[in-house]
Amino acid sequence: MNTTKRNALLVALICFGIAAGCYRADSFWGLVTAAFIGVWALFLVLPTMDGIWRFKAGGALAVVLLAGLALWPTVSSMSGGKVKVPQYIKDRVPFGIAKGLDLQGGMRLVYTVEVDEAIADKRSNGAEEMRQKLAVAFGFHKGDNRISREEMLKLEEKVRILTPETAVIRLKFKDKADVAKVDERFKNDFVHEMAFKPGPADDEVTFKIRTEVETQIRERAVSQAKDTVAKRVDELGLKETGVATRDEDIIVEVPGQNEKAFAEIRDIIRRTARLEFKMVDDTTDFFGRVDAKSIPESESIELRQESAPDGLQGKKELNKSVTYARIMMREKESLDECKTRFKRWVDTLGVPDDRQVGFGVESDRGENGQSRDVGWRTYYMFKRAELTGEHVTDAQTQTDNRQGALQYIVQLTLSPVGAERFEEVTGANVNRRFAIILDDKVDSTPRIMTKIAGGRPVITMGGSDPDVQLENARKLEMVLRSGALPAQITLTNESVIGPSLGQDSIDKGLKGMLAGGTLVLLFMILYYRSAGFIADIAVLLNLFLQLAFLASVSATMTLPGICGLALTIGIAIDANVLINERIREELRAGRSIRAAVDAGYDKAFSAIIDGHVTVFISGLILMQYGSGPVKGFAVTLVVGIVASLFTGVFCTRLVFDWWARGRKAQRLDIGAEF
Amino acid sequence: MEFFKPGRQFDFMKQRVFWIPLSLFLALSSTILLFYPGPNYGTDFNGGTEVEVAFTQPIQAGGIRSALEGGEFQAVDVVEVVDPKIPNRFLIRVQVKEEEKLQAGKQAQIRNALCFSGDGTAVDAARCPENARAVEVKFSPGGDKIVARYETLPDSKKIAEQLSTLPDLRFRPSENNPHVVGTASKNDHKVEIQLPSKGDVLFDRLKSKLGAIVPEKPLKVEWVGPKAGKQLRDSARNSVAIAIVFIMLYLAFRFDLRFAPGVVVACLHDALVILGVFVVLRKEVTLTTISAVLTIVGYSMNDTVVVYDRIRETLPKHKGKTFAQIINLSVSETLSRTILTSTATLLSVLPFFIWGTGVIKDFALAMLIGIVAGTYSSIYVAAPLTEWIDTKLAKRGTTPMASPSRTMRTAAG
Repeated sequence: MNTTKRNALLVALICFGIAAGCYRADSFWGLVTAAFIGVWALFLVLPTMDGIWRFKAGGALAVVLLAGLALWPTVSSMSGGKVKVPQYIKDRVPFGIAKGLDLQGGMRLVYTVEVDEAIADKRSNGAEEMRQKLAVAFGFHKGDNRISREEMLKLEEKVRILTPETAVIRLKFKDKADVAKVDERFKNDFVHEMAFKPGPADDEVTFKIRTEVETQIRERAVSQAKDTVAKRVDELGLKETGVATRDEDIIVEVPGQNEKAFAEIRDIIRRTARLEFKMVDDTTDFFGRVDAKSIPESESIELRQESAPDGLQGKKELNKSVTYARIMMREKESLDECKTRFKRWVDTLGVPDDRQVGFGVESDRGENGQSRDVGWRTYYMFKRAELTGEHVTDAQTQTDNRQGALQYIVQLTLSPVGAERFEEVTGANVNRRFAIILDDKVDSTPRIMTKIAGGRPVITMGGSDPDVQLENARKLEMVLRSGALPAQITLTNESVIGPSLGQDSIDKGLKGMLAGGTLVLLFMILYYRSAGFIADIAVLLNLFLQLAFLASVSATMTLPGICGLALTIGIAIDANVLINERIREELRAGRSIRAAVDAGYDKAFSAIIDGHVTVFISGLILMQYGSGPVKGFAVTLVVGIVASLFTGVFCTRLVFDWWARGRKAQRLDIGAEF
Repeated sequence: MEFFKPGRQFDFMKQRVFWIPLSLFLALSSTILLFYPGPNYGTDFNGGTEVEVAFTQPIQAGGIRSALEGGEFQAVDVVEVVDPKIPNRFLIRVQVKEEEKLQAGKQAQIRNALCFSGDGTAVDAARCPENARAVEVKFSPGGDKIVARYETLPDSKKIAEQLSTLPDLRFRPSENNPHVVGTASKNDHKVEIQLPSKGDVLFDRLKSKLGAIVPEKPLKVEWVGPKAGKQLRDSARNSVAIAIVFIMLYLAFRFDLRFAPGVVVACLHDALVILGVFVVLRKEVTLTTISAVLTIVGYSMNDTVVVYDRIRETLPKHKGKTFAQIINLSVSETLSRTILTSTATLLSVLPFFIWGTGVIKDFALAMLIGIVAGTYSSIYVAAPLTEWIDTKLAKRGTTPMASPSRTMRTAAG
């Protein structure tokens, strides 16, 4: 035994030692890595061929074993448990190939888009524009930038902007004569979207969103919601989910039977991800006027005081005591149920149309230092949103250690317009609170200390368990990036569906696949004899490696995916045909077996590599820019191409070398005599 | 086993006077067919009518499909809905052809008949009383429903009367059609007018074919939007365009600028031919067809590159020969591999075509056409195009270009 072999044996033993250690420490992937390097090293010790060959062959063997491990649980589940898999591996290999909607079916979720919300949005934007125009008409405001808080309050003395119905804006003037401020020019600015009607009272005018505009908004809301849902589902990975619309419904079809995956998808889809920044109105002290005695005792609602900033007087920062309401969760009541109860009470208070009550979660630090949610509190704020999610261009999860404990935050990047607006708003509202509202929940209400240029606002994740925080932050980051839903969507129907191809078609397809595969393999053996057999092994190995990779990324197998597989298998066969034809040519030219094999591989390689690279490039690009099924196709293509180079060129070469050199064969059985 | 005697040469380029016009004709006519009459997009792209049926007895999805297929229904999507409350529940989705939808002219007639005044058009007061003036008329994409909105509570009899002036408009037989479906506020009323839909045709056919196990009425007949919306179509088109650019760059780098267009034109030719055949046969173009086209583009690309590789190798060896002769030599030398590979691939697809049903059969058909086209196009589209570029644009005719770069050529393994 020479030194190299001794060293290899040493390496193998060390690796197995590490593997044993990893097993004790329950580090599965450490164990796997060490064991496979060990096998590789052990292969080097074998008394066959030369060192380089053993090195390559050992590597190939290790890759095949690794692939086998990745595929084991999948094979077991697809064979219906006929192939046994040890529980130890089953627990630690959590991935596998799932069959797609066309092959297996899955879950069908029907969501209804609350399109009225989108219409209300349109109306609010209209109301905002009117406020601006009226401020100019009354001479309170000049220029194009947004009216300030003071101007808004002044305007409120003259005219109130009411929104009695979803699609209706009513202007109620203090002074009847001011109705004339709504002149032809004013009406013309809105004529495309809103119909004007005088009245009903003589100090009022009414605008109603036109029916056709309403229809347009409805349709756009549905299609936008569909696109957003599709984008989110796409971001979850290779799930091959179908998303379609039906009137005002969105139908999402998710493959598989994995309840955990469904829960994740439901959660991601449901998030409206509506982000708004609104100013808190601490000047009014709305809840200070609520009579504490009027609160029903059974509701566990109480009024509390807090100190809040209240703007500047010159350079002096003002502070005042402000009242807010707080509700405590009842036993066995969920946070959402509690909020509904709270909202019902708030609705009785008669909040003005241009103000709004926001709700934030109240939490409490328990005995073990962990915080838990105990109820809700109110914030009295302006209805108009200073900034919305539209202005967010990116979101990123980060950690924040400033408060001692580990906190996850999501940092937002604003678009140029958004950043400018943010600067303007913060500049005009120093020493006031603004509320960051996510999906109708006040996330935080920081005090503006100074004008913030190039602002990068953050959203905090609450004080719960860091793992939960991180998960929430990741999800939020994802939904913010995929864009907000134009309106809330509600799950109205959920059912389990069978495969869309139908079991009969699948059975026939399987039969076809088996027959086609057998024909090709037989054909290769018939044509190339032993060399054909080697090519067949390479093709089967290729299929095996591809499936193993797909399993390791938990891909979904669909008909388009199988097309991708079929193509790469065709190309893998082609590689071997090219090589074998070249070897035949070289043998015909009278070369020795060894020289013919070397020259055959050498000359075929340029064609193989160019063919593979071109297909690889197209696969990469389809993967990058394609979506849905196109992406699924592209992934199998890219993986297959790499596997084809490995099995078709690298692995078969090992066999040919062993044949030509190791066994010192006198003739190469390649289907033709020379 | 050997297909050809080694060393045998064929004069491929002699016949190009026949084959090139044929390729041009195929590609051009396919392009025209893509616009007129245009592909028959399936439910994946165009949406369709979805009928939900609860059968009275257990039945297989395949049974429903075979009962429906043939005649005017081609690719029928049948999906079983597992519902403990309603057994044997199935969703059946069929395509609605463009010509079966309400055409723009017809829509205008209906709008007119319903006294549509929403856009400020004056209406004839005698024919259109105050309570029968629609402020909005909406047509369902499937052409089976009209929804009209009124500001005053409308009279459905009057609406039926207005529509009866249109000779070829039939109502769906039902007790109260048209009927007022909802009143959102006191001046917003919605009226639904149902027309005979593809769903009814489908349901009738189910009844006549499957008889007693079909219930009295379907659970639901509704229009569903496409799965592959604009987003997918745009992203697919953009990614293909970007891929073409990169592949051309790669080929220009590995071979020569003259080679690059050939591959792309050959791939385009193949894709067009497949789609052209689908248009001629009125086969539905679905997401699966698109995958088949992408697959063939990949196959054709590989095939062309192999022929190119031989040309690249032969060029410096035979100075003095014309480009056409070099193509002949290279194609002849690679002919057995070309036949072998395409036979192997054809063999793997053939059983799908013979035994497959519906989508799978269509996929296999696209693949079969594509493999033949892909093999053919390497010899008669890509190679002649390269020759043409070489002789006409580079004006080299008899002295072939210098050996293209082979910088990356290394031994395998």
